[in-house]
Amino acid sequence: MPTMVAAAMESPVWGQKLSSVVPAKVTGDNKDFELTNMDLAMKLHYIKGVYFFQSEAVQDLSVRDLKEPMFQWLEFSFTTSGRIRRSETGRPFIKCNDGGVRIVEANCDKTIDEWLATNDNHQSPDHLLAYNQVLGPDLGFSPLVFVQLTWFKCGGMSVGLSWAHILGDAFSASAFINMLGQIMAGQIPSKSFQVHNPKKSESPNPSIPGKPFSLKKVDPVGDCWITANNRKMETHCFHVTAKQLHHIESTTYQPSQIDNISCFEILSAIIWQSLSKIREDSGPRIVTICTNDYLKMRENEMPTNGMTLSTVEADFSVSKGEIVELAKLIAEKRMPENGLIEELLQGNEEGSDFIVYGANLTFVDLEEANLYGLKLKGKKPVFVNYTINGVGDEGTVLILPGPEKEGGKGKIVTMTLPEYQIEKLKNILENDWNIA
Amino acid sequence: MPPILPDFSSSVKLKYVKLGYQYLVNHILTLMLIPVMAGILIQVLRLGPEEIVNLWNSLHFDLVQILCSCFFVIFIATVYFMSKPRSIYLVDYACYKPPVTCRVPFATFMEHSRLILNNNPKSVEFQMRILERSGLGEETCLPPAIHYIPPAPTMEASRGEAEVVIFSAMDSLFKKTGLKPKDIDILIVNCSLFSPTPSLSAMVINKYKLRSNIKSFNLSGMGCSAGLISIDLARDLLQVHPNSNAVVVSTEIITPNYYKGNERAMLLPNCLFRMGGAAILLSNRGSERWRAKYRLVHVVRTHKGADDKAYRCVFEEEDKEGKVGISLSKDLMAIAGEALKSNITTIGPLVLPTSEQLLFLLTLIGRKIFNPKWKPYIPDFKQAFEHFCIHAGGRAVIDELQKNLQLSAEHVEASRMTLHRFGNTSSSSLWYEMSYIEAKGRMKKGDRIWQIAFGSGFKCNSAVWKCNRTIKTPRDGPWMDCIDRYPVYIPEVVKL
Repeated sequence: MPTMVAAAMESPVWGQKLSSVVPAKVTGDNKDFELTNMDLAMKLHYIKGVYFFQSEAVQDLSVRDLKEPMFQWLEFSFTTSGRIRRSETGRPFIKCNDGGVRIVEANCDKTIDEWLATNDNHQSPDHLLAYNQVLGPDLGFSPLVFVQLTWFKCGGMSVGLSWAHILGDAFSASAFINMLGQIMAGQIPSKSFQVHNPKKSESPNPSIPGKPFSLKKVDPVGDCWITANNRKMETHCFHVTAKQLHHIESTTYQPSQIDNISCFEILSAIIWQSLSKIREDSGPRIVTICTNDYLKMRENEMPTNGMTLSTVEADFSVSKGEIVELAKLIAEKRMPENGLIEELLQGNEEGSDFIVYGANLTFVDLEEANLYGLKLKGKKPVFVNYTINGVGDEGTVLILPGPEKEGGKGKIVTMTLPEYQIEKLKNILENDWNIA
Repeated sequence: MPPILPDFSSSVKLKYVKLGYQYLVNHILTLMLIPVMAGILIQVLRLGPEEIVNLWNSLHFDLVQILCSCFFVIFIATVYFMSKPRSIYLVDYACYKPPVTCRVPFATFMEHSRLILNNNPKSVEFQMRILERSGLGEETCLPPAIHYIPPAPTMEASRGEAEVVIFSAMDSLFKKTGLKPKDIDILIVNCSLFSPTPSLSAMVINKYKLRSNIKSFNLSGMGCSAGLISIDLARDLLQVHPNSNAVVVSTEIITPNYYKGNERAMLLPNCLFRMGGAAILLSNRGSERWRAKYRLVHVVRTHKGADDKAYRCVFEEEDKEGKVGISLSKDLMAIAGEALKSNITTIGPLVLPTSEQLLFLLTLIGRKIFNPKWKPYIPDFKQAFEHFCIHAGGRAVIDELQKNLQLSAEHVEASRMTLHRFGNTSSSSLWYEMSYIEAKGRMKKGDRIWQIAFGSGFKCNSAVWKCNRTIKTPRDGPWMDCIDRYPVYIPEVVKL
């Protein structure tokens, strides 16, 4: 395809300039921030969030206008400006040394509308709008957060957040970037941030000892925190409008059957079933579900990994079952594993490395995330997409809230799967469900 | 226990002997005058009032003689007052405080250096070691262009930095002194490493619409001691022009001077030089006498450029890859010591009390005539000055001077804390140090301050000021928001 060839020749995003922004006030020496076991479980993953703004939101905003409030912004969650160090036992922690956040300034030859239209092509190009972040090999001098500001031909701008998962989950990342908009608008948080202390095991279950299924051990990565995939992974994202959602709901089940099944569970069930139809092994039988059950309010809190990781095992044939059965399975029969993960990492003497996303096919529920809460000049972004980097071979699916449109909000589904599965999956979803 | 007591008592005795000697020698004229006056008084009393009246009448004064004597006295007085040098007053000064958006913590600076020097791990290690031992704090500032990886120095960015620094300092000065731009008669701007056309002084004249007959000068290339050279120039001009105001602006523009190579001898300035600037108002107007903060007493300039080694010890040149940087030679400390000795030898007789000069002279004679092995007597400058402002060129410079002049930690506190909070701001660092002393409330009327600066060439310049009025702790100034945190303990090595 000619457009693909052209894109391969020269990148549409060019002129990258790197600089750093630091907290306005000295954090103070000897502030070492301890990482929880859940944080360490997520260390090989990276979150990328891209926020698109039309030109009315960013007219007359220069780089300086955007950078200056950042100094005050970073005073609040000062761990984001820190760097990874290892204690004598080898356990990583964050040294709050004000190293700062890396800022990337770039330009793009397309307009925002052109860019968003090309999303139906193969590779979602959004990865060009958020810096490709990896912690290491110089681990002690790698920034934990990058913010990329890309100016488009039409005068619009995208804000690309690259966030090391070790700092916190997508909800924390979203609350962090939203705060920048608040500070630019003059709303300064009044109290200092609380550190969330995770309750020892929020899951009621550890009577069943054993390994957590949601975690997979990988080859040692040393000081370069990224795993290699055995298969080439691709990311694809599509919009499910409110109308389409309504149609799906009305066709898949009677209103009486659903008690508290959310869109997330329905969409996850659909994708799970569709995938099992195209895979030779008709698998997967076990999937990982990642939900935000406990920490609803993330504003004014230090970033943390507070999502619940659970596994769901299907004891019937997934490809042949009813969607509503599958959705109910996900909603009601999932087994939280946070306690097991904590235990495993507590006893992790030899410092093994693990991945979570993509150890099994993973579904991440970000429906409640306040992704459209980042406002510039009072205007919301026209579109927001999140992806996860460093995903294992089984793949990951994120369900995000969609932009406000007439007819209400839909959902955005972002999938990172092996390349050969994406095309077939798209076909099934289009044919059977009229989405993708 | 017994051995200690005799030492103590002997040292106490020695201290009193010293004090007694100093008092005796320093006030010798007064002490000699008192017996003489007492003698006259006794004699007069003995003579009685009638004898005095008779003595007076016998002197036979007539009109011409009285008139001539009066004219003579008036003539001598006029010659004296005309030939006396005008008093130069420092009305007030303002230091530039960089905004937090220019802040560069250790970790960030180190990280950027690693990324820029990534092909040269040895240079990276070297730079880390310098930074750990530099004595700088976490709040020093670099201009925005240097925050980029790699730095993006353009002419426009350099001019931008110059405008921000110089205009902020001048606005602050105008506000503090109530000076009107059209009242400036003399303008001197010194900035060593950035010299555009038109000059920075022309930039100031353009911005503030100064008078067309202003006497303006722009000093460039003269190093970190250029601030005192400007003060010296201002003083000479104020001798020639009566009733005038002179504004001196001292700064160093960092943007064009970041060294991008990896030659070790040239990496040090990157680590130490930071943004800063100061604007000073000097005047010889009598009306300023009441509100001026200081009076200029002496300026002593020493130039060792005739010596080749001294000339080359701070040298701007291209490295093997063609990148321009300032190379510091290994003999820098030794040469600085020599320059300091020269300067002290000139300034000593001007400021030291007679007691110290006498001791120095006696030791000198003794060494020449009796025994060359006698230790040279280092005069005690703490008796000549209450405050010391040593240019914060680097930790080594301050340590060296503290050792050579036998100063206590409190004497060098202003210099060390300025280095910690602002880094090496080149010619303006002396003013940040003065500001520190004022902010601490230590400046009292009659205090004498010694400012010493070293610079490329190799130069050692000193200025001596006398405090004109006790200075209340200022409510503005660069130390305003952080003075309560100072002095801080600066560890020998800071672990990054």
